[in-house]
Amino acid sequence: MSKMVTLTIDGIKVTVPEGTLLVDAARQAGIHIPVFCYHPKLEPAGMCRMCLVEIGRPMIDRNTGQPILDENGQPKLQFLGKLETACTNTVSEGMVVFTQSEKARQGQKATVEFLLTSHPLDCPICDKGGECPLQDLTMAYGPAQSRFEYEDKIHLAKHVPLGDLIYLDRERCILCSRCIRFQAELVGEAVLTFDERGRSSQIVTVSDPPFDSVFSGNTTDICPVGALTTADFRFGARPWELKAAASICSQCAVGCNIVYNTRREARSDGRIVIKRVLPRQNEEVNDLWICDKGRFGYHYTESRARLTAPRAEGRPVSWEQALQKAAEGLRSASQKALIASGRLSNEDLYTLKRLADHLQMPAYLYTPIGGGEWVRRYGLSTGSDLSALGKGDAILVVASDLYEEAPLWYLRVRQAAERGAALIIAHPRTTRLERQAPHQYVLRYAYGDEGEIIERLRREAKIAQTLHEARNLVIFFGNEGMGLEQSESLAAACADLLVETGHAGRIHNGLIGVWPHPNAQGAWELGFQPIFDLQPLFETMDALYLVALDPFGDGWVRQNGRKPFLIVQDILETATVRQADVVLAACAYTEREGTFTSGERRVQRYYPAVPRYGDSRPDFAITAALGAKLGLNLEAQSAARLFQEIAGAFPAFKGLDYARLAETRPQWPPTGRADYPFSGTAQPNTQGMGKILSAVAEGTMTPLPPTMQKESLRPEEGTLLLVPIHRLFDAGSLLTPSALLHGRIGAPHIILHPKTAQEAGVTAGEKVLIEWEDRQAEALVKVEEHVPVGVGLVPRSMGIPLSRAARARLHLAERVR
Amino acid sequence: MSLAQKYSQEIQAIFAKYPPEQKRSAIMSLLYLAQREEGYISQEAMKEIADMLEISVTEVAGVAGFYTLFHRQKEGKYRIQVCTDLPCALRGADSFLQELAQALGVRPGETTPDGRFTLEEVMCVGACHRAPVFQVQHGDTITFHENMSLEEALAVLKKLE
Ligand code: SF4
Ligand code: SF4
Ligand code: FES
Ligand code: FES
Repeated sequence: MSKMVTLTIDGIKVTVPEGTLLVDAARQAGIHIPVFCYHPKLEPAGMCRMCLVEIGRPMIDRNTGQPILDENGQPKLQFLGKLETACTNTVSEGMVVFTQSEKARQGQKATVEFLLTSHPLDCPICDKGGECPLQDLTMAYGPAQSRFEYEDKIHLAKHVPLGDLIYLDRERCILCSRCIRFQAELVGEAVLTFDERGRSSQIVTVSDPPFDSVFSGNTTDICPVGALTTADFRFGARPWELKAAASICSQCAVGCNIVYNTRREARSDGRIVIKRVLPRQNEEVNDLWICDKGRFGYHYTESRARLTAPRAEGRPVSWEQALQKAAEGLRSASQKALIASGRLSNEDLYTLKRLADHLQMPAYLYTPIGGGEWVRRYGLSTGSDLSALGKGDAILVVASDLYEEAPLWYLRVRQAAERGAALIIAHPRTTRLERQAPHQYVLRYAYGDEGEIIERLRREAKIAQTLHEARNLVIFFGNEGMGLEQSESLAAACADLLVETGHAGRIHNGLIGVWPHPNAQGAWELGFQPIFDLQPLFETMDALYLVALDPFGDGWVRQNGRKPFLIVQDILETATVRQADVVLAACAYTEREGTFTSGERRVQRYYPAVPRYGDSRPDFAITAALGAKLGLNLEAQSAARLFQEIAGAFPAFKGLDYARLAETRPQWPPTGRADYPFSGTAQPNTQGMGKILSAVAEGTMTPLPPTMQKESLRPEEGTLLLVPIHRLFDAGSLLTPSALLHGRIGAPHIILHPKTAQEAGVTAGEKVLIEWEDRQAEALVKVEEHVPVGVGLVPRSMGIPLSRAARARLHLAERVR
Repeated sequence: MSLAQKYSQEIQAIFAKYPPEQKRSAIMSLLYLAQREEGYISQEAMKEIADMLEISVTEVAGVAGFYTLFHRQKEGKYRIQVCTDLPCALRGADSFLQELAQALGVRPGETTPDGRFTLEEVMCVGACHRAPVFQVQHGDTITFHENMSLEEALAVLKKLE
């Protein structure tokens, strides 16, 4: 517990911990000291001088160390002859501060006047207009008139692309350095800086590629002027025309809280459409940030490939006909199965599971990563919070590249490590986390040796000791280089480690699966089973009900003559939809309500943002209607009632309901309309911070001995081992509709070590033909040092249908022709 | 050849001055080294320095950009930097600059066709009372020339090989 300090700000007595910055202390007491460069999540810089205040400190008698008193017995105060910045001064006992005195107001007014001398004041066409700290603080503190000649303003470039996604307006920049500090301090990618100095200072990047951080969009939220705008939203709408709907990002398992800003507009044929995505504050999940995939990847919800009506045998039909056909198909099939993905809500999955049970067919989860059973039992439990991790705690990241697979977890793990948590990374190659977070230990193993990872951690004395002594231990696991079975064994081994080190079943401790989908954990919790190999299902079943997945497009299955009766329920036209006998058109999650369970086992609500497309329906409603035709009575209207049923049926969900999920807790820093200058345009959380599921009541059970049932392939002399990896920006059906991300997605490629490339006789930029098993694909060669020799990394969902590690051969594409 | 190959010993000596976890502090010395080598700091040199210090090339560029005596464009062998700030201007620096420009056959900011001289206009160099004044930047040296007339200036330049 740090020492408390009492001071007086504008006549109000405030008591805060020693070391608190004056500007924060004031804000906690409800006093807004104006700021531009200060941001509560960044180190103070004292760049802008907007926070000038008068500070008096008690005079101390040097001999006695006691305050000198005046004739009234009050401590005498000493004021510096000048104003001081509230963002760089920490509080001290007996300090007396005036933020609104004549002198302070003068300083603040002069600062605004100076800033405006070279500001273009093009508010009428500026995207920030309406939520702009410079506008607001000019109104509140600035002079009504400038003494500066308008013609003397310096004019600078207005549309400078810093990367594909972010534009800089040099005239508007007030040189606060928030964007620079965000990238350097929080993300660890210092790709922005000031060039030149004084009046010539400018924000630049000379990195190559330029500003391509996956967190780049956040700089537009904290830029206190309209200098940084996104390629997506710039000139798109005025803030005051926008409505806000609370939601959860659907692009990975982190479950960032977001807001969809929408408006009805003529240029979208009078529809209500999404104009932008903003982070919604949740200090337990994503603070004030989201990644660029979450911010810019929503365009799939308005893609031209959206399914708008049900179909049978390739023709549009009525819902009644489609459901009838689907029901008949399921009824008459003796061998049938259901496969669903973690893109669906808990309510959808629960409904599907009920239908599967009713028809006595298996309910499979479509996932490349196994082990959710273990997360269900050894995951985080109620009250856990990654931001509580710091000195004395340990975080283990195994076989996952968090920057590419779950960016906000990368950020949070990096922050925990900066706070002093021991970070242990086990990965076959160097990942961004290893390069940019302070870490204690790195365990490098070869592809194929995944079965030994945990054993080797145990054997390394220092690591073992750290794990045992850690107050809290959180383990993230992914599946790089592994098939489903191997990643399942890995999860079991990790669970075992939690038990062995005494961390299982405790708050702030547990296993986290880095799933590629927002609600994979929900599916595990609700009893879905993994399926190792889909192809046999497609060859032996009479009927399959596929919901929210594209196994044909992803390369998991191939058309092989015999085809089961396929019922495909999805929101987009996909390769799988094209194979379907019956197509059921689901609406996007932005058009309905529901809940997702994140990898941390946090259940969070999302709300409808826009109206449904065409005649599409929520997944649970479609399944319920199908159930009705098959003699099963399911809730078809209310997601809230379905959630009640879930809470009644599954102990981990006990006591939760939509009202509890909508609860919020007080958070620091404050956000919202009055706080844009302080914390940026991240939105306040008024509609729910979610709840982590309770520990499953099997805390005492020990895991099965983790045996690797099947070893994964390892590199061998003279052959090339292809390994699929996850990249944040892939060419999956959910991301390609976002045209502005195409630059980040790039072309299909294979990444080789320089030596491997040399041995194969290929160089960077060349096009090669890759052959594996009985397949082949073309790809561009990239050469990077971090790839193990003899291995070719192939990003998933990039047009190369590689679903698991395989041996391969490379040819120059030209030579082949 | 890369700096690291060509000057490995000198670079080692530079790094020896800083604790390993503070090695980014070596940035100024390395920038000097790069500039001495080529008369300016090229993109490649910045990249190399960034890799040596394990910081981003943008951070290196930020430091190079902040200091006016670091240059990022290839220019003449000698940079003639005439101060035209207010005190110097009061002692005739402007016309001195014009005359010098005419004599060299270039405008301020330009380089002579033989690549020997680049004429630059700079802010106060700290010799205000002895204007007209210019400094000549070459490699890692700077020499001052004060109380200059055009003839004296040309004589100075002539002596530079
Ligand atoms: S671009 Fe915005 S955030 Fe960056 S320095 Fe300029 S005003 Fe600040
Ligand atoms: S980190 Fe994951 S959940 Fe968060 S915004 Fe990015 S994709 Fe969405
Ligand atoms: S100097 Fe304090 S907010 Fe900028
Ligand atoms: S003004 Fe020219 S040297 Fe100072």
